Amino acid sequence: MFSRKKAKSLLFIMLSTLLILSLAIGCTNPNDEKNEFNENPDNKEIAVENKDLILSTTTSTENSGLLDYILPVFQEETGIEVKVVAVGTGQALKMGEDGEADVLLVHAKASEEEFVANGHGVERYDVMYNDFILIGPKEDPLKVKEAAGKNITEAMKLIFENNGTFVSRGDDSGTHKKELSLWRELGIEPEGDNYISAGQGMGAVIQMTDEMKGYTLTDRATYLSMMEEIEAVIVVEGDERLFNQYGIIAVDPSKNDKINNEAANLLIEWILSEKGQKLIGEFGKDKYGQSLFIPNAK
Amino acid sequence: MREIYEGIIKSIELLLSLDGEIYRIILLSLYVSLTSTLISALIAIPVGIVMGIKKFPFKQGMIRVLYTFMGLPPVIVGLVVYLFIRRSGPLGNLELIFTSAAMIIAQTLLVTPIITGLVYNGTKEGGEKIKNLAKTLGANKTQTMILLIKELRISIFAAMVSGYGRAVSEVGAVMIVGGNIRHHTRVMTTTIAMNHSMGQTDMAIAIGIVLLILSFIVNSLLYRFQQGE
Amino acid sequence: MDIQIKNLTKTYNNRKILAIDGFHIPSKSFLGIIGPNGAGKSTLVKIIAGLDTPSTGCILYNHEGLNQRINRNMTMVFQKPYLLRTTVYNNIAYPLKLRNINKEEIHTRVQKIIGEMGIAGLQHQKAWTLSGGEGQKVALARALIFNPSLLILDEATANIDPSSIYAMEDAIKCYYENNHATIIMVTHNIKQAKRLCNTVAFMNGGVIEESGTSDEVIYNPTKEATKTFIKEAFL
Repeated sequence: MFSRKKAKSLLFIMLSTLLILSLAIGCTNPNDEKNEFNENPDNKEIAVENKDLILSTTTSTENSGLLDYILPVFQEETGIEVKVVAVGTGQALKMGEDGEADVLLVHAKASEEEFVANGHGVERYDVMYNDFILIGPKEDPLKVKEAAGKNITEAMKLIFENNGTFVSRGDDSGTHKKELSLWRELGIEPEGDNYISAGQGMGAVIQMTDEMKGYTLTDRATYLSMMEEIEAVIVVEGDERLFNQYGIIAVDPSKNDKINNEAANLLIEWILSEKGQKLIGEFGKDKYGQSLFIPNAK
Repeated sequence: MREIYEGIIKSIELLLSLDGEIYRIILLSLYVSLTSTLISALIAIPVGIVMGIKKFPFKQGMIRVLYTFMGLPPVIVGLVVYLFIRRSGPLGNLELIFTSAAMIIAQTLLVTPIITGLVYNGTKEGGEKIKNLAKTLGANKTQTMILLIKELRISIFAAMVSGYGRAVSEVGAVMIVGGNIRHHTRVMTTTIAMNHSMGQTDMAIAIGIVLLILSFIVNSLLYRFQQGE
Repeated sequence: MDIQIKNLTKTYNNRKILAIDGFHIPSKSFLGIIGPNGAGKSTLVKIIAGLDTPSTGCILYNHEGLNQRINRNMTMVFQKPYLLRTTVYNNIAYPLKLRNINKEEIHTRVQKIIGEMGIAGLQHQKAWTLSGGEGQKVALARALIFNPSLLILDEATANIDPSSIYAMEDAIKCYYENNHATIIMVTHNIKQAKRLCNTVAFMNGGVIEESGTSDEVIYNPTKEATKTFIKEAFL
């Protein structure tokens, strides 16, 4: 049996060990990494003073794993540490507007162009695209695949008119905006018991769709990463209207003096370069046998 | 159910794999929550004790406010802290946004009322007797305070554990002010939220299990500590 | 210690519960305060001990107001004492630790007093394992160890077993005789007051009705209220 004294000293030792350990990890690690890169003589000397860069992007971009794949290479080359803050598209643009981020990587072209036109960003560059797909139950009870073929709006109309379950992100994300624009094109105001506005991330929505045997619009990357765990299959793909263009924008540095415009420009230059573009194209090939993002910088 | 079972397997795999990332996430969680609990305790213990043994004007009103603050939603705390420390906010110059310091600030604000309220409750029960005893034995103000802390140690410790439990399990505040940045501000709860939104349930459950095990260890130690009395 | 009470009143929730125009407790007296429940006995001694503040009036200790030096030189034992959550030894040593006395001397003095009070066997026990009588003896030892010149006992021997009562009475008597301290003892037990005290004050309705030597007040009370109270107590 434990005596009280033993329990007390054990508790004390455990807590202090944890605190010290976590202090060590929590505090020193990021700096250590930076120092490592700074001291590495093989590194190209980069004349950027501030090596911290905040990239605001959408949850789906981060969840795809692309940034974890390409950004370490960028950091190794430049010593710049990109801190990725993943939020909804609306929030990502708002962060740029408020000067809380240095650079944005988002996929809502119209909003992005408006963002630059309003003077919040310097310039918008095309980076890459991926595509959306419509997924649904394997049995496809509404025969959407047969009837609509490649036509996404036709498919959505079929689901709506036959009271099929449609799960919407409902969170003002890029995917949600895309879905709404397609409904608008159809002249349909989506509502009713079979239109589920989830207010959640893509992965959660795919899972809901699978459980409810409904249909949803998703980006290909998230679907591929979950393909093994779910029963839902691709119902519609390849419609040009489903292509999802990503843009990168440096936030206007005049917003406040903390915006790291130098590093932002370096990142943009790198991501648009041959090397950056090649890396984007390679991502996902080994795991899914296909690229998740198609680089298309001009 | 399959997810939970697979989550348990996955959590064991994760912990055994000695994957640096998961340990970094766990340690950052502990670091942030323990630090904020300790800072909160430094403020909350004296304040709670003084509130418990002293009479002062508006005391009842203050206690009602304190009890309300004990139930503050983390997202509200996160949002307020975010508005203060963001680059364009009044404290923007300190460059705290999206750092572990920002998470510590938010959790400290969240946890301080909880510890204060619980210490106040514990002191209200027995504090008067202890104070009187200290006085009759000739203790000065500092010695009285030390004696109160010593004698109320069990309820103070329980208050700190509750505060820590709140800090380590909340996601709203750290998500907003920390930003869930990989290698920087990603903690257990934000990882769970992110994995859920990515549809990776097993990873979310794995970290959830780690969180539970850690709570269990802390609470078992508390239990031993109380049983020893 | 010489205690002078002047125009003391205490009002609680708009009710005057204590009104003592003037009362003198000379140095080295052993005063028993008797009276029915609600007479204001406990309030009075709490104010003397500095644990409560009077609404008006004041108390002078050796012709001074209450200060830390006076406070360190007096103590009070309650009916239900609070024992620190530690061993008996540490409980009794605590007042000496507060006074920065070195460990060896603390040890000597603690051993001496627990020997005198017959509780040496308890010294390593945790305070919360003691019986009522044992706890009360520990509280008394803790009060006496720093040689206070004013000792206040508020029903300190109520509700404990007779053998513990006698042990405590012996210890109190012994302390009084050896240290020439002033002792104020609130008790409902008139026989105890007769056994120990050399002066007795009878309180009723917040005032001191009469006071004098023990024999005067107990055997020849002048006020009707005192007579009734004492008669009932002896029944």
